[in-house]
Amino acid sequence: MLKAIRRDKGGLVGLVIVVAFLLWSLIQGTLEVLAGYLKKPSLGYTLLPHNPFALNFQYSLLPPSSRFPFGTNANGEDILSRILYAMPRDAFVAIVVVLSAIAIGAVLGIISGYFGGIVDEAIMRITDAFLSLPALILVIAITLPLKATYLGTILGLMVVWWPTYARFFRAQTLKVKNMDFISAAKLGNVSPVKLFYSYIFLNSIDPIIAYATLDFGNVILTYSTLAFLGIGISPPIPELGEMAADGLSGLPQAWWWSVFPGMTILIIVVGFVLLGDRLQDIVAGRIAY
Amino acid sequence: MQIVDYILNVLHGNLGLDPFYKVPVTTLIGKYLPRTLELVIPATILSVVIGLVTGAIAASNRNKPTDYFIRGVYLVTWASPPFFVATVLQLVVAYYLGLLPPTGTVNPLLPAPKDITPFPILNAMLTGDWSYFWSLVHHMVLPTISIALVSFGIVTRIARASMLDYMESDFARLSLMKGLSRRKVVYGVVLRNASIPIVTLVALLFGYSVAGAVVIEDVYDYHGMGYFITQAIENLDYTSVLGTTIVVGISIIIANLVADILYGILDPRVRVVE
Repeated sequence: MLKAIRRDKGGLVGLVIVVAFLLWSLIQGTLEVLAGYLKKPSLGYTLLPHNPFALNFQYSLLPPSSRFPFGTNANGEDILSRILYAMPRDAFVAIVVVLSAIAIGAVLGIISGYFGGIVDEAIMRITDAFLSLPALILVIAITLPLKATYLGTILGLMVVWWPTYARFFRAQTLKVKNMDFISAAKLGNVSPVKLFYSYIFLNSIDPIIAYATLDFGNVILTYSTLAFLGIGISPPIPELGEMAADGLSGLPQAWWWSVFPGMTILIIVVGFVLLGDRLQDIVAGRIAY
Repeated sequence: MQIVDYILNVLHGNLGLDPFYKVPVTTLIGKYLPRTLELVIPATILSVVIGLVTGAIAASNRNKPTDYFIRGVYLVTWASPPFFVATVLQLVVAYYLGLLPPTGTVNPLLPAPKDITPFPILNAMLTGDWSYFWSLVHHMVLPTISIALVSFGIVTRIARASMLDYMESDFARLSLMKGLSRRKVVYGVVLRNASIPIVTLVALLFGYSVAGAVVIEDVYDYHGMGYFITQAIENLDYTSVLGTTIVVGISIIIANLVADILYGILDPRVRVVE
């Protein structure tokens, strides 16, 4: 599998970006959580070039230099440090939302595909209703009464993200449900939970993993767009989309303030898309592995 | 019981009062939505055109540098947050080259023409106020291009795939055998057939464009639905956001209907036979 990814330049680039992003998020995220837990905020930025919260008005709006590679914002905070500090939050959102979407989508999709009839009709109409509206606007509508907090936003994304997966799992279930090994399992008195999990879920997961990889990028894109609009942020903790929005006030002179956070999101999402595309090719059998 | 009341009110066309402006939400949406539609409708058309053209070029140069270049471009624009595309365009085109105004909806020094329709651009045309009209157009160009840039990738992708399929088809081979040039076959015969599935995408694209517009308007300080939603978010004004969601939902349903009708016109096979 890894060999097949490595053989393609795009896939390799994607893999490197994704691994670097996730690894950094894991390390930095652990430090941030520990810092909060031990009430020692300095632990949260031991690995960063500068303290992301240090107000230094003498360094206000400095252009990129060797000391501040991505420049500084109006408060004199180092933009690179703030970007690095913000990354774990994006990774966390993406992982939680995609995994929950797979879980909810699998349960509803398999039930829908397996039983058919009125249950199927009902679940699929709900799915259609969700899919017909842009996710961004739906999440805003769900999150606002939750005071647009970070956790509220994750919840909002979880509520709107499952329908695509429900359709996927339904289609896969329809494909396998009349195969002999399912009939054999039914004759062998396999419990329904085991039937659904081991026989249907595990047999449908391959193409879904490829799509989910791509989807991590979509979640990050949507989350950062929400943050840009002021949803799901908890100041003073920096967020990529929020930084890009703040940076608009520095245009056109202090272009680095808004451009670098935006570019970071772009690179992360490109990584997931490249890797996801490559995985899709492999799963679809277009490339042997 | 509150939700029952709300739904009954919505069915009567009443989305409630905006708690800050003390005006019905419908009035506010009626003011801002047309301005966004003025961006989103041209942007949707533009992204279909860009998507079809780039898709066709990519397909006819399959696995050549041009193909890789186009795939690279749509990958980057697709993976870009909408505000990033808008910011970069604004910096380069408006601030550095000074070709177009960077922010705003219209030159504030010009008096607005009479409200005949809810659409400012139509009002300017109907009253013959051409300086106002051109000012509006100048302010629309960058947001429209930004919206089209973030959404054309999906059209390119699907156009390319369906063109590749059709190039193998019997009718494409027949046209080649009849002696048509390769260029005519690719851009005439194959592209015409491959563009049919794109029509079903129009509604989806429209939805993308609306979501993109919300953010992009914010960058350009364009006073449409994006401005309205941002204000509502800042004020935690739930009534307005819910009203917006309903109106956006309705406009997407209408876009779906339009797409279905277009499909029937373009492809006689899906017409309902009486």
